[in-house]
Amino acid sequence: MPDTHFYRYDDYDRTLVAERVEQFRDQVRRRLSGELTEEQFKPLRLTNGLYLQLHAYMLRIAIPYGTLSSRQLRKLADIARKYDRGYGHFTTRQNLQLNWIKLEDAPDALAALAEVDMHAMQTSGNVIRNVTADHFAGAAIDEIEDPRIWCEIVRQWSTLHPEFSFLPRKFKIAVTGSPNDRAAVRVHDIGLRLWRNEQGEVGFEVIVGGGLGRTPMIGKTLREFLPKDELLAYLEATLRVYNRYGRRDNLYKARIKILVHEIGAEMMREDVEAEYAETKDGALRLPAETIEAIARQFAPPALPHRPAVVGAVEALKLEDRDFALWLKSNVSAHRLAGYRIVTASLKPAGAPPGDASSVQMEGMADIADAYSHGEIRVSHEQNLVFPHVAVEDLPAVWRALGRLGFAEANVGKITDIIACPGLDYCALANARSIPVAQSISNHFAGLARQHDIGDLKIKISGCINACGHHHVGHIGILGVDKNGVELYQISLGGDVDFGKTALGTILGPAVAADKVVEAVDALVATYLDARGEGERFVDTYRRIGAQPFKDRVYAAV
Amino acid sequence: MAKNLSGDLTIASANRLTDGVVVFLDDAGEWTKRLDRAAIARDKRAGEILLERARAEGFGVIDPFLVAVSEDDDGVIEPISLREKIRASGLTFDAIAADAVRYA
Amino acid sequence: MPLFREAGIVEDPWQKLGDDAAVPADGMVLVSFTRWREARAALLARRGPVGVALANTDPVEALASDISRLDLIVLHFPKFSDGRAYSQARLLRERLGYQGELRATGGVLQDQAPFMLRCGFDAFESDQKGFGEALAKARTLFSVVYQPTEDGRAPASLLRLGRRNVRTTV
Repeated sequence: MPDTHFYRYDDYDRTLVAERVEQFRDQVRRRLSGELTEEQFKPLRLTNGLYLQLHAYMLRIAIPYGTLSSRQLRKLADIARKYDRGYGHFTTRQNLQLNWIKLEDAPDALAALAEVDMHAMQTSGNVIRNVTADHFAGAAIDEIEDPRIWCEIVRQWSTLHPEFSFLPRKFKIAVTGSPNDRAAVRVHDIGLRLWRNEQGEVGFEVIVGGGLGRTPMIGKTLREFLPKDELLAYLEATLRVYNRYGRRDNLYKARIKILVHEIGAEMMREDVEAEYAETKDGALRLPAETIEAIARQFAPPALPHRPAVVGAVEALKLEDRDFALWLKSNVSAHRLAGYRIVTASLKPAGAPPGDASSVQMEGMADIADAYSHGEIRVSHEQNLVFPHVAVEDLPAVWRALGRLGFAEANVGKITDIIACPGLDYCALANARSIPVAQSISNHFAGLARQHDIGDLKIKISGCINACGHHHVGHIGILGVDKNGVELYQISLGGDVDFGKTALGTILGPAVAADKVVEAVDALVATYLDARGEGERFVDTYRRIGAQPFKDRVYAAV
Repeated sequence: MAKNLSGDLTIASANRLTDGVVVFLDDAGEWTKRLDRAAIARDKRAGEILLERARAEGFGVIDPFLVAVSEDDDGVIEPISLREKIRASGLTFDAIAADAVRYA
Repeated sequence: MPLFREAGIVEDPWQKLGDDAAVPADGMVLVSFTRWREARAALLARRGPVGVALANTDPVEALASDISRLDLIVLHFPKFSDGRAYSQARLLRERLGYQGELRATGGVLQDQAPFMLRCGFDAFESDQKGFGEALAKARTLFSVVYQPTEDGRAPASLLRLGRRNVRTTV
C-alpha cells in the first residue's frame, strides 16, 4: 500500500470491515430468500449504506474526514463503472453516493471497497454517521491541530458500537481544528472545536444539539473546554443520555436537538456531566500512546521547500484572465508559503452539482499523484480539494483540471451551488433541485460577472429535510409542493462561515420554478445597486435588511 | 385529448427487491417495468383489490402501493403526481455519461 | 416463547407473578418493576430467588442497592429498533455490577445478538426461526471490536498497545 498521509488501516481494521461484509452478504441472502422481512432487513442495509431512492438503491460510501488517496479514488471510479452507471455524487457530508446499485451486487461492491480500506458502514440508519472534518485539515494556515486525528478516534469508537446501534435517530458529528469553522460544527448533533486555552493546552469545545432539517437549530455549548484524552468518555456519556431519553414517539422529534430544546441546555449539561463523572476514569480514557500513534499517521507529507513567487505563474496570471480568476477563487493559502490548497470545482456551468464520472475521478487521481502527494479531499460543498499543490505547479494543475471540466473559476461564487439530489432521485423530496441549480448556473455562467458579484452561496433543498443546507445559504432555496406544482421558497442571510452560524429568513411567498432565475437576478441586482465598499452579498443584506430585496423580487416574478 | 384526473384510476407499483427498479403490477399479476402494461383499477373498490393482489405478489418487491393515474383518449396512462411521473420515467436532466471526460 | 442461552434452548424455571397475585413463600418469582417497588421488602424476605422485569423506560439505578440480591433481570425491546435496553444492560452490568441472568425479551432477532451479548445479555426470548443457531455463533461473528464492554474483550486500541487486560468498569 503506497504511502498515505492519513490513517492507514492495520489488520484489525481490515478484519472488522471484511467480517462486516460477510455478515451483510449473509443478511442479503436471507432477505432475498424471504427469511428476513423488509422491516427486519432495513436497518441492516441502511447501516451498510444502502438507501432506497425513487428509482434504485443508492450506496453511500463513507469517506472518513473527507480524505482519499488516489488509489482509493481510482477504486471508486472502478466501482461506479462496474456496479453503477459510471458516475457518483460527492455529498455535503463528505461521502460519495452511487445512485443505481443493485442489492444483489452490494456485497461484492462492499468487498471491492474493502480492498482499498473503504466501506459504507453507518452512512445511513439510526447510528453515529461518518464523522466529518474541515476539508483543509492538515494544510490550512489557521489550523491549531489536525481535526482528522479525532475523527478517526471517534470513527473507531462509534463503529459497531453495541450500545448505540439503535439510537432514536441518526447522529452526526463534525470536528474543526481551526477558528474558521469549515466543518459547520454548530449545526451538527455534536460539534467539536479544537482550541488552545490560556494555559496553552489544546482541548475541545463540545457543542450539542445543532442541526438543520425541519427544525433548524444552532448547537449549545455543553462544555467549554474538554481535555482531549477525555473525548470518548464524554461522547459515551452524551450518547448514553440521548439513547435513554431521546424521543422515540415521533420521527420528526427524535434528534438530540429536540431533547436539548425540550429539557434545556442546562439540564442536558447536568445529565451528561453526571454520566460523564462515571465514565471519565474508566476504560475510555485515551492513553497518550494511542493518540500519538494515530496522530503520527496524519503527519503531512514531507513538503520540500518550493518558491512562494514563481515567474511563470505571475506571467500566466497577467496573460490569461481565466487563470487569474481561478487563482482568486479556487486557490487558497497553505501553511507553507510555497504551496497552495486547490479546490476543483465540480460545478461546471449547467452540470448537476457535485457529480463526477468514473473518467473524471480517474483524472483527478492522476492529478493528485502528479501534484498533490496522492491525496484528495472532499469538501462540504460538493467539490474536491487538492491539499498540497506547489505554487510552481498551479498552471499545470489548472490545465489538467480544465481538461476534466473542473477548472471553472467559481468556487464560493454564485454558480458554486450546493443542491441535494431532490425529486429526481429522492423519495423524500417534494420538488426537484438539480434542474433549478442548472438553470441558475447557466444564467450566471459568465466568469467576470460572477467575480464581480463576489462571494455568494446558494444552497438548494428539495424538501424540508434540508440535505442541501438551504437554512445556511446566503440565498437558500427550498422546494415545496403545492397542489402538485413545484414552488420554491427563498430565504436570505444564512451562513456557516468564519465562525458565524446563522439561519436564513424567508423572504416571502414561494415562486414558480420558471421564476427562480428571475428572482435570483433581482436579488443580485438589489445587492449590486446597494453594496458598500468590500461588502459581500450577505453583508449588504445584513446592513439594509430584507425589504429592498423583497420589493425587487416580487416586482420581477 | 381529455384526461381523467379524478383520481379514481390507480395502478399498483413497487420497487423490485433485487435491484430497486420501479415496477408495476400487470393483468397477469406479474411485475413489469412497463407502465403501459400496468393493470388499471377503475374505482376505489377495484383499487383495494388491486393493492391486496399486489401485496399477495409481494415476494420480490418492496412495499407495493397504489399510484393515481390519468388516462387520455388513446388509453395512455400517466401518473398524476410529479413524484410518480419521475419514478416512472427517470431523471429529468442528463446525468454525466460513464465515459464522459466533461459534462456534455 | 422459546428461551435461549448461548449453549442452546433452555426451560424457563421462573414463575411470572401478576401484579395482584400473592407473593409465594418460595420458588423463583419474577415480578414487574411496579410490584418490586411496592413489595420489595416482602420479596427479599422470602426464601426463593427474585427477578425483576423492567420496561425500557424504568430507571435501572433504582435497583442499585439490591443488585446483588437479584437473580434475574428482564429487559424489554418494544421493537427491535428501540435501543434503550442496550443502555440499561450496560449500566446494570458495568455500573451496578449485576451478575445474575440478564434476559432480553420483545423484539429479539438474531442480527442483533452480537450487540446484545456485548452489552451483557446472556438469555434471550425469541421466536425467530434460526435464532438458536445464530446465537451460538454470534459471539465470534466479529473477531475484532473497537469498544470496551463488560464482555472483557480487548478492543483493538488496547491490543495495539500490546495490552490484553481490559478494565471492566466504564
